[in-house]
Amino acid sequence: MLKKISRLPVLLAESLPLWEPKVDVCRTRNGWLLKFDLAGVHARDVTVSVRGRRIAVSGIRRDSILEEGSSYQSMEISYNRFERQIKMPVNLEHARVMLEARDGLLLVRVITEGKEYV
Amino acid sequence: MSEETVVYTLPVLPLKSAVLFPYLMMPLSAGRPSSIAAVEAALATESKEIVVFAQRDADVDAPTQNELYAIGTKAVIRKMNRSSEGHIELVVLGMERVAMLKLDGSEPFLKARVAPLALPEDKSAEIEALQGALIELAGEALALAQPNAPQELRGLLSANEDPLRLVFVLSSMFGLDADKAQSLLEAPTRLEALRMMHRYMAHEVQVLELRNKINTEARSEMTKEQRDYLLRQQMRAIQQELGEKGGEQAEAQQLRERLEKADLPEDILKEAQRELDRLEKLPPGAPDYNVIRTYLDYVLELPWRKGTEDLLDIARARQVLDEDHFGLKDVKERILEHLGVLKLNPNAKAPILCFVGAPGVGKTSLGQSIARALNRKFERMSLGGLHDEAELRGHRRTYIGALPGRVIQAMRRAGANNPVLMLDEVDKLGHDFRGDPAHALLEILDPEQNKAFRDNYLDLPFDLSKVVFVTTANALDTIPRPLLDRMEVLRLAGYSEDEKLEIAKRYLIPKQLKETGLTVEQCTLPDETIKRIISCYTREAGLRRLERAIGRVARKVALRVAEGNTGALTVRPDGLADMLGPEPFNQEEARRELPPGVATGLAWTEAGGDVLYIEATLLPDGKGLTLTGQLGEVMQESAKAAQSYIWSHADTFDIDPRLFKDAGVHVHVPAGAIPKDGPSAGVTMATALTSLYTKLPARSDIAMTGEITLTGLVLPIGGVKEKVLAARRAGILNVILPKANQKDLRDLPEDVRKQMQFSFAERVEEVLRLAIPQLSERMAAAKTHRIDHAA
Repeated sequence: MLKKISRLPVLLAESLPLWEPKVDVCRTRNGWLLKFDLAGVHARDVTVSVRGRRIAVSGIRRDSILEEGSSYQSMEISYNRFERQIKMPVNLEHARVMLEARDGLLLVRVITEGKEYV
Repeated sequence: MSEETVVYTLPVLPLKSAVLFPYLMMPLSAGRPSSIAAVEAALATESKEIVVFAQRDADVDAPTQNELYAIGTKAVIRKMNRSSEGHIELVVLGMERVAMLKLDGSEPFLKARVAPLALPEDKSAEIEALQGALIELAGEALALAQPNAPQELRGLLSANEDPLRLVFVLSSMFGLDADKAQSLLEAPTRLEALRMMHRYMAHEVQVLELRNKINTEARSEMTKEQRDYLLRQQMRAIQQELGEKGGEQAEAQQLRERLEKADLPEDILKEAQRELDRLEKLPPGAPDYNVIRTYLDYVLELPWRKGTEDLLDIARARQVLDEDHFGLKDVKERILEHLGVLKLNPNAKAPILCFVGAPGVGKTSLGQSIARALNRKFERMSLGGLHDEAELRGHRRTYIGALPGRVIQAMRRAGANNPVLMLDEVDKLGHDFRGDPAHALLEILDPEQNKAFRDNYLDLPFDLSKVVFVTTANALDTIPRPLLDRMEVLRLAGYSEDEKLEIAKRYLIPKQLKETGLTVEQCTLPDETIKRIISCYTREAGLRRLERAIGRVARKVALRVAEGNTGALTVRPDGLADMLGPEPFNQEEARRELPPGVATGLAWTEAGGDVLYIEATLLPDGKGLTLTGQLGEVMQESAKAAQSYIWSHADTFDIDPRLFKDAGVHVHVPAGAIPKDGPSAGVTMATALTSLYTKLPARSDIAMTGEITLTGLVLPIGGVKEKVLAARRAGILNVILPKANQKDLRDLPEDVRKQMQFSFAERVEEVLRLAIPQLSERMAAAKTHRIDHAA
């Protein structure tokens, strides 16, 4: 019983049925730039939603590179649904959001034009 | 949740004895070819999804639809790695609950058509309450199972918002059985799942509590003893530091120390320790406290195993015995014999001796002397007048003021388990309704039983088998037969005049002089003087009166010396009257001449022997036989037997039968105030009667003793030595004894044997012929007369 309990932190590390991509948040001249580590994910499979200070990025990573006759020796990349919520220091309700996939990163640009509400 | 049901087909991973829950990750290992194929198929899809079902029976390798639970979990493969053994290690994350619609069992892996089985959204106060209770229970269980669990763990539990998730987390945390986990997974509503989990957890907590209780009990039992020991050690240290031994604790401690040092037999030690444990638990005010204390004192002081070393030097022992006592050859021999036996067999049973003899013959001092010769401790107790069995065997501890019996007390005083224990006056034991002490003596004096003598007070077996018991008695007839049977009787006969003289010179005079502070030069007692004292101032078998008389003489001399008479004083026989007064006993002068009808007998008394005159006279008008002089029954019968014998043999002795018919006979035995009994006067009676009827006087210088039978046989008697010495004292130097007593002469001192003349008779006629000189002629005449008559 004790042995099983000790395994618990591992079990709960990513306990949601979703995985979370890593993200960098940068301040820019006209707003914010969020760089998501989401290689192999099509921009069309990603949804960004903004509610108050909260930005949620969710989507699905599909394993599209499946060659005929190949098989996995090992796998570390998480596939299937993901979701990441970020709490921003300011309210972004009225900001403009742009998406761009570049070099394996998903860039989310939030343009506020200085209209930020705390 | 949308109304339409999405149905999809996914590879199946069957799980042996485990259940995957939604929201939870689980490391798995796929080893079966079909499982590996299923995992590979899942990996070859874009979404890496697989469905996991638990097997109903963990032993089945290729399960069919019926052998899998119908409800499972859709999962996504998070990570995987092929191991060197060809297994696939993978981590799966449960996504949602699904129901199996159809299992496709075709090769190479199982596929299933499944539909999601979402739980209805239900929220109620009951759910909330259950969730709260469950979290509490889980906290308890966690505290019991792992008291040092990190705080975050508990934080995680309470942070869970979805009650279902809480149930699943707890289930995997406490490792519920697969059956129970499966039933949780299959729960139709959250409420049901919570209820189930609550039940399981409650049970779990109980089990944990019980386990903990058992653990802590085991631990506390061990630590209590350690704690006691530690405290005791500390207390001892403190008391030593303070230099005090006060308080009952110190007392118990002291007892414990003594107990450790004492050399007790195993079972005794155990019993003593038990009592000590009891003592320690008692408050000192308790009435039992002192009882147990005294008891333990006794147990500790008794010489359970301690004995004195025997000095097995026979020559020395002989010397000691000779120094202390003159004569008493038999007794000394017996002691030396035992010493010899001890030399060969150190474990020999000690003898149980009984010294029988007149007062003052040295029975008690002989006991002391034996102890000295053996180099053993000497203890003495008088049994005279003892009438309560408890005196010997003690009282049970339940009585207030109970003490062990005298035997155990004597052992304690002796401090050795092999002393010489003298039981004085064993013939004077009393008995009453409280019991008969003689019966207790039976056990004490039986070598077969006294190995484990149980005193009522001690209630522990004490070994008395090494004790040399010496009992003393003046007479044997009051000692119960079974008791007498256990003892080896040694008779200490009275001393002869010469022995007394010797003893007086060697022991009594030096002792009395020393007590009065005189030197040997200042006071001289010539032999004649001592002899005069012995014969005229004392009449006894022992020596007490002699010693007192000598003491008186010594004091008179001391007075004169103190008055200024410095010259050496010699006490002459004539001077004795001045010092000791007139002679209380006339020298038992033999009667110079005996009239017909009187004969000289010899008697044995407790004070030694005595000369006895038996007088018979005819009563012209009387009838039958009159006996006077305090005669006992046996003696009366003896007289009748003598009379009958004479009557029946009247013609042999030429007695006129008319004498019997016309006159009665009166037999008197002086001194009339002293009770007499015993058969040994038989021949004397016969002589007196014969002398009376024949009118021939008996010899006055001849004394006789012996029992007679109706047919005229002379039977042996006891007390030969005393009787012979009494005759000699009276100046009668001829003694007639039964033939069978010839061997007893050995006991007599050499000079007595030389000086005196003994005749031994087998038949009464022989006695009569010797005692009445003219009888032989008369008989011869009677014979001729009878022959004439016949002719």
